Amino acid sequence: MSNEKNSVSEIFWETFSNQDRQKIKEFQKYMDKFAVNFNLYKDGNFIERSLPFDVIPRIIETKEFDIIDRGLSQRIKALNLFLEDLYTTKNIVKDNIVPEEFIYQAKGYLKELHGFSPSKKIRTHINGIDLVKDTVSDKWVILEDNLRVPSGASYPLSIRDTYRKIYPSFFEKLKIKPIKEYPSMLRESMNYVNCGGINVVLTPGRFNSAYYEHAYLAKKIGAQLVRNDELVVKNKVLFFKNYDGRLVRVGAVYRRLDDEFLDPKFFNEESLIGVPGIMEAYLAGNVAIMNAPGNGVADDKGIYYFVPKMIKYYLGEEPLLDNAPTYLPYFEEDKKYIFDNIEKLVIKDVAEAGGYGVMFGHAMTKIQLEDLKTIIKANPRRFIAQELIEFYDEECYLNDEIVPRKADFRAYVVMSDEPKVWKCGLTRYAMESGNYLVNSSQGGGFKDTWVMEA
Amino acid sequence: MEQLLTANVATNLYWFGRYLERIEAILLEVVYSFDKIIDTDKDCGKEMYEKLGVNLEYSNAKNFLNEAVFGNHHANLHTLINFAKENAIISRTNLDTEAFGSVVELANLLKQSGLEIDCRFVDNVLSLISEIWGELTRKQHRQASDYFIRLGKLVEKVDFHLRLGKDKEFSLVVMEEIDKIVTILAPNSKFSPHDKNDSHEVIMNSINAKINKIIVEA
Repeated sequence: MSNEKNSVSEIFWETFSNQDRQKIKEFQKYMDKFAVNFNLYKDGNFIERSLPFDVIPRIIETKEFDIIDRGLSQRIKALNLFLEDLYTTKNIVKDNIVPEEFIYQAKGYLKELHGFSPSKKIRTHINGIDLVKDTVSDKWVILEDNLRVPSGASYPLSIRDTYRKIYPSFFEKLKIKPIKEYPSMLRESMNYVNCGGINVVLTPGRFNSAYYEHAYLAKKIGAQLVRNDELVVKNKVLFFKNYDGRLVRVGAVYRRLDDEFLDPKFFNEESLIGVPGIMEAYLAGNVAIMNAPGNGVADDKGIYYFVPKMIKYYLGEEPLLDNAPTYLPYFEEDKKYIFDNIEKLVIKDVAEAGGYGVMFGHAMTKIQLEDLKTIIKANPRRFIAQELIEFYDEECYLNDEIVPRKADFRAYVVMSDEPKVWKCGLTRYAMESGNYLVNSSQGGGFKDTWVMEA
Repeated sequence: MEQLLTANVATNLYWFGRYLERIEAILLEVVYSFDKIIDTDKDCGKEMYEKLGVNLEYSNAKNFLNEAVFGNHHANLHTLINFAKENAIISRTNLDTEAFGSVVELANLLKQSGLEIDCRFVDNVLSLISEIWGELTRKQHRQASDYFIRLGKLVEKVDFHLRLGKDKEFSLVVMEEIDKIVTILAPNSKFSPHDKNDSHEVIMNSINAKINKIIVEA
C-alpha cells in the first residue's frame, strides 16, 4: 500500500485492526491443504513448499490502475507487432530503430522461425510485466517484460477465495474488483488462436517448481494437463493420446516449458520433456503454441531498452508507462555514463532471469566494480545498467508485527483480439528488510492485490 | 461420457482408488486385530499381516498399532498414503478439489503424528478417508475419472478380500459391479465371464486383462 493516506486505506486498516489475527494461520492451513506450492531444488533435493503469503494486500485505486491498464495494453500491442515484424519483414531493423546485432545476439531470437506468422498473428498471448512504483516520481515504471512463460497468476487467484472466507468484512466494506475472470481470459485467448482441436496445458511434470500452477490453471481453463509423452505428432498434426487409444486433435498448447526444451527434433535434441515434431505441426499452421516460440528476443533485457521506441514506431503514440532509466554499454555515450556512475547503478546480465545476474553497484567493492567494467568492456551487449529505483515499500505482517518490505507488482496481460489486463496481479515482497530482490526463486513471498472499483 | 483422460492420469486415478481402499481396509483390520490382541488372541495381528506377506513383530497391542502404521514393511500406512498422495497429485485436475485437499491433509496428519500413535489416531484417519470417499461421490453425473477411481476401489476390495482368505461370494458380487464399470469404460470390449470356482490368481488375472483393455497406450 502506498504511503498516501486515503479513505480506502483508512477503511482497510480500521477493519484490519478489528480482525482476529489468529485467523491468519488459516491461510497457511489452506495453502498446505491444497498444496499451493512453489517447489524448490536445494542441494539437488526436491523440496515441496508453499509460497510465503502476507495477509496485508496491495491496494490500487481505480484511477491508478487505469493508467497501468492502458499503459500495459499499449506496450503489449507494440511488443506483439515488434515480434511479428521481426520474424517477417524486419522493418524495425531496416529503419534503424533497433540495431541489427541486438536482435541477432539475443539469446531468445530463433532465426529458424523467420518468415513464419502464427495463428491470428498473435505471439504475446500471456504476458507478465513487472512494475514498481517509484517514490521520487510517484509513478509506476516498468522493470521487465516476461513474454515467454510468465508464472504466478494462480497464487493470488487461489488465495482470494480463502481471503473472502476468512475475512469477509473487507469485501463487504470495500469495493474490490473481482478477479475470477482470469481463467476465462486464458480460455478466450486459447480459443481465439486455436487451429482446430482441444486446448492443452503442457507441463514438464509433477517435479517442476510451478506444477501447482499448471494443474490449477488447466482445471480452471477446462484444458487437459499433459506431459510430453501424452501428446504425439502425426503428419504434422498434434494429437492428445486418450486412455482408450483414441487420438484427439490438439488445436492450442499453453506450454509451460522454455523454447529450448519444446521439441527435441527442432531445438535441444537432449530434451526429455519436449514433444518431438510439435514445431513441425506449429510451422504447418496446425496448432497454436502460446506463448509463441521465439518470444525470448522481446523480453531480452537489452531489447527492453527499445520498447518505448517500438511504441512510437508501431503505434505512433507516446508510451503511457515509462521504463526504469536504462543505459546500454553498447552505445559509447551510455557506456561512459555507466563507467562514471557504476557505484550507484544496478547492472543486469541480459541472459539471466529470476533475480539472478543482478548486481547492485553500491554493494560492490572497488575491485569488484573494476572487474565488472572490464567484463562489460569485453562484452557490452551482455549487460544493461539501470538507475536504482527507490520503489515504495509495502507493509507486511511478519512475525506478528507490521514491517515495511520492498515489493514489486507483476501484472498479467492476456491477448486475444485485443490485449486485456487482469484486474489483479502478483505482488511479490522481499523477505528481508532493504532487499530489492523479490523473486519467488530468491525466497520472496506474495500478497493479494486489490484493485478498487470506481 | 465425453471426458478425455490420458492413460497416465487414468492409471493414477485407478491406483489412487486402490491405495485409498487399501489403507481403509488395512486399518479396519488393524483395529479389529488390536481389540483381539488386547482381549483374546495375542498373535492375531501377526496372522493377519502374514496373509499380506509381511512378517510383523510386536510386543503388545499398542506396539502392534505402531508397527502396522510405521513399521518397515510394504504395507505400512506411511508408504501407502504417500502412494495415494502421489497418484492424487498427478491426477489432481480430474479430482474433486476438496477430496484432493483431504488427501494432502491425510498425508500431513501422518507426517505430523510423531512415531507414537494410539487408536484415536487410526479413527481420525478412517474418518478422513470416509470424508474423501464422500467428497469423491457427491457429483450428480459420473465421468470417466470417477469410474476409474471406483474401479480401483472395487478391484482392491476383491484383491484384499481374497488375500485375507475370506469367502469368495463377496468377491463375486463385487466382480459383477466391476464388470458393469468395465462395460461403461470400454463398451466394445469382449470379456470372458468369471466363474465361482476361479482361484484368486485367476480372478485377479481376469481383472488385470480387463483393465489392460480399458487403458490402452496409443
